[in-house]
Amino acid sequence: MIYDIRHVTTYSYESPVSFARCSLRLEPTSSDGQQLVSHSVEIKPHPAARTTRTDFFGTPTESVLIENPHRMLRIDSRSRVDVSRTAPGRGDDSPAWESVREASFGSSDLSAASPIGYVFASPLVPMLEPVTDYASASFSKGRGILACAVDLMHRIRTEFKYDSKATVISTPLQEVLEKRHGVCQDFAHIMIAGMRGLGLPAAYVSGYLRTIPPPGKARLQGADATHAWASVWCGKTLGWVGLDPTNDILVENDHIILAVGRDFSDVSPVDGVIVGSRKQKLAVAVDVLLVE
Amino acid sequence: MTGQAGQGKKPRPGNRKVTQWTRDYERLPGIPDEFIAQDGTPREVWTRFFDAFGGLAPADIERRFGSADRHLREAGVTYRAPGEIADRIWPLSHVPLLIDDSEWQQISAAITQRAELLERLLTDLYGDGKLVASGAVPAAAIAGSPEYLRSVCGVRPPGGKYLSFYAADLGRGPDGRWWVLGDRTQAPSGMGYALENRLVLSRAFTDLYKSMNVERVAPFFEAFRDSLRASADRDEPRIGLLTPGPFSETYFEHATLARYLGFLLVEGDDLAVSGDRVHIRTVAGLKRLDVLLRRVDSNSLDPLELDASSQLGVPGLIDVIRKNGVVVANMPGSGVMEARALLGFLPSLSEKLLGEKLKMPHIATWWCGQKAAREEVLSRLDDFVIEGAYGQSVPGFPGLGPVLAADLSPSERERLRTAISNRGIDYVGQEQVKLSTTPVWDNGRLAPRPFVLRVFAAATPNGWSIMPGGFCRIADQPDARAVSMGAGARAADVWVVSDKAVVASTLLPSVETVRIRRIAGWVPSRAADNLFWLGRYLERAESTLRLVRALSVPQRDPGKGGATAQQSVERIQRLLVTWGATSLTARSQPAKIAAQALQGEDKFGSALSLVRAAQRTATSLRERLSPDAWQVITEMAERLAQEVEDDDGVVSAAELTLQELASFAGLAQENMNRAAGWRFLEMGRRAERAINTTRFARQFACDEASSDDLDVLLTLVDCQITYRSRYLVGPLLAPVRDLVVLDPYNPRSVAFQVSALNDHIAHLPALKENGLMERPQRLAIALQSSLITGEASELHTKSLFALEQDLLTLADSIGSHYFPHGSSATRPEKLTGLA
Repeated sequence: MIYDIRHVTTYSYESPVSFARCSLRLEPTSSDGQQLVSHSVEIKPHPAARTTRTDFFGTPTESVLIENPHRMLRIDSRSRVDVSRTAPGRGDDSPAWESVREASFGSSDLSAASPIGYVFASPLVPMLEPVTDYASASFSKGRGILACAVDLMHRIRTEFKYDSKATVISTPLQEVLEKRHGVCQDFAHIMIAGMRGLGLPAAYVSGYLRTIPPPGKARLQGADATHAWASVWCGKTLGWVGLDPTNDILVENDHIILAVGRDFSDVSPVDGVIVGSRKQKLAVAVDVLLVE
Repeated sequence: MTGQAGQGKKPRPGNRKVTQWTRDYERLPGIPDEFIAQDGTPREVWTRFFDAFGGLAPADIERRFGSADRHLREAGVTYRAPGEIADRIWPLSHVPLLIDDSEWQQISAAITQRAELLERLLTDLYGDGKLVASGAVPAAAIAGSPEYLRSVCGVRPPGGKYLSFYAADLGRGPDGRWWVLGDRTQAPSGMGYALENRLVLSRAFTDLYKSMNVERVAPFFEAFRDSLRASADRDEPRIGLLTPGPFSETYFEHATLARYLGFLLVEGDDLAVSGDRVHIRTVAGLKRLDVLLRRVDSNSLDPLELDASSQLGVPGLIDVIRKNGVVVANMPGSGVMEARALLGFLPSLSEKLLGEKLKMPHIATWWCGQKAAREEVLSRLDDFVIEGAYGQSVPGFPGLGPVLAADLSPSERERLRTAISNRGIDYVGQEQVKLSTTPVWDNGRLAPRPFVLRVFAAATPNGWSIMPGGFCRIADQPDARAVSMGAGARAADVWVVSDKAVVASTLLPSVETVRIRRIAGWVPSRAADNLFWLGRYLERAESTLRLVRALSVPQRDPGKGGATAQQSVERIQRLLVTWGATSLTARSQPAKIAAQALQGEDKFGSALSLVRAAQRTATSLRERLSPDAWQVITEMAERLAQEVEDDDGVVSAAELTLQELASFAGLAQENMNRAAGWRFLEMGRRAERAINTTRFARQFACDEASSDDLDVLLTLVDCQITYRSRYLVGPLLAPVRDLVVLDPYNPRSVAFQVSALNDHIAHLPALKENGLMERPQRLAIALQSSLITGEASELHTKSLFALEQDLLTLADSIGSHYFPHGSSATRPEKLTGLA
């Protein structure tokens, strides 16, 4: 399937900002069952410098420097992506979760693809005993890792309430667990933290969902914004499997991957520091159209 | 075993004290000691020391200890315990730790080897990654460390080295050998305190120190400084020491080191990335920085790429490192070597990378990320000390430090088991070791206390240089591994003692390598800002003190019958209310108003509050102030904080403090280098004095002023004598106004201050290159012209008010011109939000 994605981020400042240094992670990846066809980012005001490098996680990262005073920063990203992947069945045979844990502990690979990078606490996903306890109910002794993860995903979908106003990026995980509500990012973080608490590798994925559902199907939650889900390592044979706890589905052809990291802080699409205004307003608009 | 000490040697005649000390020294059972060897005989170096020490009279010993403590207090050697706001005075154990030269050679060789091993490990780890790929180091032992910085993977460290300096914590194990307890590769602290301990102790016991042939530490610091210089890619590099700021626990040490090594003490805000370089914001604009010695942890260094919430770093710093634009010591990410998970792999890595066995053992460590080790630890849980594999805390057991399973309740024990079973990668089990003790002086006798010795190594072009000595922390509790300076511990100097006389300094640079320099570079904007405000606070304190004195002391004119006239009291009271020194009305007794203005804790304008503000500002300037200057400020703050008993007490406190202010001004005048820093201190003082004098003149030389008022004014601005020598009549309006406002020869007049300000501004660098006059200069010249051409007969209350406003504008314009990124500027902020 081919998608056209438009992702517009607009910051409005109360007083002029004299300087901005941003990192953009807006270029969809060409791996994991998808191929980038075209991509462009338009920035206003015109940056003094733009350079792109690939970060540790393999994500193309653009550094942008703006030195003109401005009251508005608009980042308009357009991408065309060809997606073609098949999700494993929910009941597929997968190795016992305990063996997956031991395999990841014994890893001799430090690259971004190695499971070992996703077992430890990360800046936004601390290790919390209550979260681990919550997750462990899905991990009975000797059960297959994928079946356990699917069970955990299902429980998050049914036991947590989706509420787009309930949380912000800085809402601590503890609070999300206590109040049982949040957005895609919170659900992904809960799932990731719970699995890591048990010693299992889980990554954070940022990306998009198709906006208009296939005929006869319900519109997915988070389709008009950037989306986030979890990717779980299921042993050497199955590798990484995407699970979307916000929608209780395995990642297949409705999901477009932007970037993969340990948590939101590794993949945030637009990030940066400014000098100037204290007050700022952010607006994000995402449109994902099926071309064919 | 105890009580046998000293039997191996004959007591020396006339030194019964030493025999007594030795006999009373009760070693802890089963624990090795530095003073008394395993066989019960005192070690030779200690005998030499105590023989000399015992030769001093008891009163003399106490006097010398007292003088050491006083020096520490006066020099403001402080540290702050975690979670505390007030600085604590450094607790120094007065008996140094003594290490024999031959034993030191072994320690030195072992630390050299270990530093080299860690450097090579880092090089492979962030470079080719062969060791992980081959299984010599488990990936998990690295990936688990928060100090493993993914953003510098594959980046060559600018300057060529990961570790510019390294420290190891050592203890003597039960077998009598030295053991490594832990590695410090991030930003080891203690070097500056070690320096200060040495300074204090060698001063207090000059003869003893000389007779013991103690290895000097200065050459080590010189080698360290020269190596950092050599790591830059130009000849006269600018080097900064990056501190988290005055709120850091070890800020004193940062300031000491910066001053001693001649580096600029900088905070994140002082630095800016521009182009592919890091720059310092100075009063002369951005200046390139070549080397950054950091005391800020890696993750806080760059909010753009690392911890986004950090206010301590420099946005874009990591990218500059990537582009080889700045040397950062140690290279960000070096802290990964501190992980205990790695300890067990070091012996085999040493053979693999260096082709030799590790020269010094470390505590036996089982990393539970590997199945066999985990099962070993779980099977005899009580035999181990459980520690975190990567950081200081044990995951899941916050605040406890090392966990002893035997001390846990059954349910907590089960929690620990589950945690280790689930996430063994996070834990290590370590052998329980009791470390050796060293003597401390305890009320006239010697007592053994456990200690940890931190040894420092610096990378130089000729290999590793080891500081002969180190930083010794002495615990008050039996387990020395938990020694931190917050927990009732003491520090001690470490003397490496030689049989032979020590050469004074062998590393004096040759004549060719030193270029003659006269100005120590431009001042960072923040330091200039602080100096400016230090000058202003002190001058404002002086004005307040003069008002307090005027309230309390009868005027000098004997014809006035003593007390200050009620109208003048009201004017003084009004002034004190305006600048926040008192809230009492004029109906109160002048003595009460004076007392409040002098030392009102809750009055921001009281002399006490102003001196404290000056002290706080001076704290951020520690590396620029002489110890004498710092001492004067400390004494003022202490005096003003003491309760005064009566009116006389108020007057004498005010007068003594005024004298100290004068001595501070004298120190600045006579001792401060005439570089830009001094000018900013002076400008602060001049601007404030001009403003206050104008304000005084507006009150006491207003159009309706009485001769009483004028008399008060002459006292306030210290012009009684000058006036009397010029005029035979009592105070009259026009002559007083002329003397106080316009007279260019009177060092207390407004005109004199403005002329001085003008002179300073003219000497400061221009920031713009368009040839136009910059704003502070424009304002100052205009003011000076109007004062030069002004006549006393033209002055009146209104014009004095206008003059005061112009002066305030001038002071502000100096601030916004030279310190645009000072406290009033907005900080870089994080872009918020995600959809």
